[in-house]
Amino acid sequence: MIDFEQTAAEARNLIAEASQAAELERLRIHYLGARGVLAPPDFTQLATGERQAAGRAYNLAKRSLQEALAQRLDELRRRQLAGLANMERIDVTLPGQPPQLGRLHVLTVVQREIETVMERMGYQVEIGPEVETDWYNFEALNLPRGHASRDMQETFFLNESETLVLRTHTSPMQIRTMLKYGEPPIYAAMPGRVYRQEATDASHLAQFMQVEALAVDVGITVGDLKGTVQYFSQSLWDEERRVRFRPSYFPYTEPSFEFDVSCMVCGGRGCRSCGGDGWLEAGGCGMVHPAVLRNGNIDPEHYSGFAWGFGIERIAMLKYGVEDLRLFYENDHRFLEQF
Amino acid sequence: MRVSFQWLCELAGIDDLTPQEVAQTLTMAGWTVEELKLIDLSQIRVGRIISQEPHPASKKPLWVHMVDLGDEQRQVVAGAANAVVGSLVPVALPGTTVPSGVKVRDGSIAGFEARGMLCSQAELELSDEHDGIMLLDSGEPGQPLSAIVPSDAILEVEVTPNRPDCLCHLGLARELAAARGRRLKHDFMPLFTGGIEPPGTDLVSIAIEDPRFCRRYIGAVVSDIRVGPSPRWLQRRLRGVGVRPISNVVDITNYVALEYGQPLHAFDLDRLSARRIGVRQAREAEHLLCLDGQDRQLAPDSFVITDGDQPVALAGLIGGAETAVQVGTTQILLEAANFEGIAVRSMSRRLKLRTEASGRFEKNISPELALAGARRAAELLREVCGAKVHTSWAEAYPRPQEPVPVRFRPERIDAILGVHVPLEEMEAILDRLGFQVRVETEGEWYVLPPVFRLDVTTVQDVAEEVGRIYGYHNVPATLPGRRRSSWRAATPSVERRLDPCRQVLAGAGFDEVVTPTLVASEMLRRLGLDGRALRLVNPLSDDQDTLRTSLLPSLLKVAQLQRKHGREASRLFEIGRAYLRSREDSEEPEEQPDEPQLLGVLSTGHEGADAARKAFYELKGGLERAVNALAPARLRFERAEDRLYHPGRTARILSGREAIGCIGELHPTTSQAFGLPGRAVAAQLDVAPLLELDPIRKVKALLRYPAVTRDLAVVVPVDLEAATLAGAIRSTGGELLTDAVAFDDYRGSQVTEGRKSVAFGLTFRSPARTLTDEEVDTRLEQIRAVLSQRFAASFRD
Repeated sequence: MIDFEQTAAEARNLIAEASQAAELERLRIHYLGARGVLAPPDFTQLATGERQAAGRAYNLAKRSLQEALAQRLDELRRRQLAGLANMERIDVTLPGQPPQLGRLHVLTVVQREIETVMERMGYQVEIGPEVETDWYNFEALNLPRGHASRDMQETFFLNESETLVLRTHTSPMQIRTMLKYGEPPIYAAMPGRVYRQEATDASHLAQFMQVEALAVDVGITVGDLKGTVQYFSQSLWDEERRVRFRPSYFPYTEPSFEFDVSCMVCGGRGCRSCGGDGWLEAGGCGMVHPAVLRNGNIDPEHYSGFAWGFGIERIAMLKYGVEDLRLFYENDHRFLEQF
Repeated sequence: MRVSFQWLCELAGIDDLTPQEVAQTLTMAGWTVEELKLIDLSQIRVGRIISQEPHPASKKPLWVHMVDLGDEQRQVVAGAANAVVGSLVPVALPGTTVPSGVKVRDGSIAGFEARGMLCSQAELELSDEHDGIMLLDSGEPGQPLSAIVPSDAILEVEVTPNRPDCLCHLGLARELAAARGRRLKHDFMPLFTGGIEPPGTDLVSIAIEDPRFCRRYIGAVVSDIRVGPSPRWLQRRLRGVGVRPISNVVDITNYVALEYGQPLHAFDLDRLSARRIGVRQAREAEHLLCLDGQDRQLAPDSFVITDGDQPVALAGLIGGAETAVQVGTTQILLEAANFEGIAVRSMSRRLKLRTEASGRFEKNISPELALAGARRAAELLREVCGAKVHTSWAEAYPRPQEPVPVRFRPERIDAILGVHVPLEEMEAILDRLGFQVRVETEGEWYVLPPVFRLDVTTVQDVAEEVGRIYGYHNVPATLPGRRRSSWRAATPSVERRLDPCRQVLAGAGFDEVVTPTLVASEMLRRLGLDGRALRLVNPLSDDQDTLRTSLLPSLLKVAQLQRKHGREASRLFEIGRAYLRSREDSEEPEEQPDEPQLLGVLSTGHEGADAARKAFYELKGGLERAVNALAPARLRFERAEDRLYHPGRTARILSGREAIGCIGELHPTTSQAFGLPGRAVAAQLDVAPLLELDPIRKVKALLRYPAVTRDLAVVVPVDLEAATLAGAIRSTGGELLTDAVAFDDYRGSQVTEGRKSVAFGLTFRSPARTLTDEEVDTRLEQIRAVLSQRFAASFRD
């Protein structure tokens, strides 16, 4: 029978010197494996009185080896991990490799931001045809044929009889939405492409995008319009935005206004962006004209409403500092990649 | 409209406001001042020329002047010779900036000391005249120029088309005064009516044939006229607002138009031989030599002023050359008339002639204005030209203007504006604007607009008047909203529903683009896409004369542009509309077209057949994933042909049984048409049918028992399609076969010529138990048997 104590001491020395996990595994098998050196005592060969002591000695030796193995393995692992920094160091300042992602177009992003604010205000987004009839685009909006106000909107025609036009504004959707809903309350936002027969330059396009918002309900006032436009502007930009109404004229609203938003570049003190007066022209609005309500099958004696609209590109230009409208429709990747 | 600050304030009786304050007040009352140009002449001095010598050395002609400025003498150098010894001239001293923006510096010109600048009218912004130095009639050397020529400011005011009464200084002066809480002192109707015999009615007669077109015609006879230049003040006012002075008579008619808003015309009475003035439709083949020197062919849709039967003017547009006032004219017939707006506008559009007069008439001005304008002009002709105005003007007024009172309870105004305007204040505002207010029984108001206001007919119109003068900054901002018993459920917009599709494509590396609706008809024709195209009647140019019928050319044009700017391979998509002429329509459309919303995807820059084949499957996979983001539906693909696509690499896309689009490699000629050298793959489909699919996903229970997978390589003729094989495999595999996906298509040395090997990954699974290998192998054998029998398939390991 071997001397458990001595064998264990030998083994512990070897374990302490081992420098690889694999070596430790070999030592474990050599000493503690099924046919290992440190085998349990053969009790049949021992006197009854010695059995207990032998058993204890064996167990002590075995446990000490197991502990030594575990401790050494732990040491080796720790040492290995301590070396990681040197062995596997990388240059973390090298550029990252982005996944090949495409981008949404900036006009989609801005349109959705606008819709989101409007939807939060309880407006339903509605879309409609871009090739409109003369009735929806003009007549129903209080713009009879031959009316000088039609000159405010240079029109593309699709037939000689001029009954089909490319819509010059999103306002025909006021009529379509009133007819579709039938009865107030009506709160609708109507984005889409519109067209003007105008020469193209950095600030004019023959095609651009507008959003129109319409509210028809009981007892709607100019004050409600003012509050709504202000709430919208603050939600789209920031809480500091103030709104100014300048009286104006549109045949389909009475009273009518242009609304200005305090300049977000200079905060209203006056700068190059706002031409020095602290206000940026943002859009047009007004109380829906009674004749327009009647054309939408709504009784102006019971209900009143307001409508307001503005250009989407203009919002995008202000927001991102784009100085040429044409960039939005050219889709040069050097422009698209900046968003 | 260009407005003189000084003229405006004089009429408004305002002398305590700066030009900036006036601009601000007008803007907030509805008259947006787009531009304000200050003409400050107080820094410019009057000088007298003491000596003038030509510059001895300069190549350019230059003159060296010595100028007396009262307390000193200065040497200045000028390029013009018109200021001679003794001339009084405006002098800008070093350090001042003249109104045109030039800053005057101390210095020397070509070696001669130049210590100031002699100014032209253009430099002082007094007119466009920039040749020669401005010469003054009077003044003392050293005086500020503003003592002789008053300082002014020019306001560019935007006058909305509903307010032709404000296309003049008097109208805006009334607005300015009202907004400042004052009432205009100036009476709308001047009192002067002439007084010389014989009465005008004995000298001319007037007959209107069509009272719908001409509501009123006044013809005043003025004699003892001496045509010559207008006095300086009149010339200066006209120049200031951009009108070139011509002669006293013409200048007065222009001046009255700018002051009162009533267009006037003066005929040389001696050239009106018949002295019978008529207004009638033009006849076929009639023509008129007009004041601008153009001989215009007329047609019955135009209206003319006639003398006897002879046309002498185009009504509301322009006078005739033959009867125009000229040097030597001694008697005139002053025309103050009223023509109907729509007719004038259509004449003006057809003849492509817009004049100062037509711009006013087409907005429908009040016929009452004609008399006011005629009286004002008569008064000026007497004062300025010393002319004699005959009494009793000839007039026809077949359709007199009726008063249009508006009746309402004043609470209505509050209800529209959302603020309570005190009654006295409301009444005062309306009074300042020239409205008459009468309070009737039970508090109802009877409001009569001033005669020159034809735009006020409803309570809303009155509310606008009250609101803009009361000030919208005084209206508190509120939000609509009340307790309600009915509402409308919120649903996501179409665009928002399509967003997951956009996001998947962007995530797969495709850039979203937004391209123009208008394209070139010629391009569509070459591509064979013009079948249902809609053309514009009045395009801006040939390259945007038609509405697009497909997104494909637009995407290709973007790829072309991107390539020009350095991107060899573009991956693009757009969700947008095409515009297709209604199927019922002929060439000349009457119906609104179909506007299908399409998804177009394009991937360019693939070199060689293999790369393009790979790109096809990538595009197909991306598209399927994008569509799946909208609804858990499977698209189907069937071999198809399309002239824009590769004949062997094109499929029709189906959703259910409906063909919704096309996918494929583009035909080489298509790519080449857009200058794209590599191969390109593209797809386009109609999104509307996809939006009708049920977007709800039902989750399947997770199965407890493991799946058994087998690969099966089927060797078949090359033209047999994977979808056919997959169909047979699925139907034979039964319900234990949960999936059969083709993952490889091999042609080459391993298989016989004319055949290919398609590898399928098969998944077997039972919801109730673990399948045994034997069971699966039996199924697999059945599948093999069916495939070999039906398609003469063999199998590879």
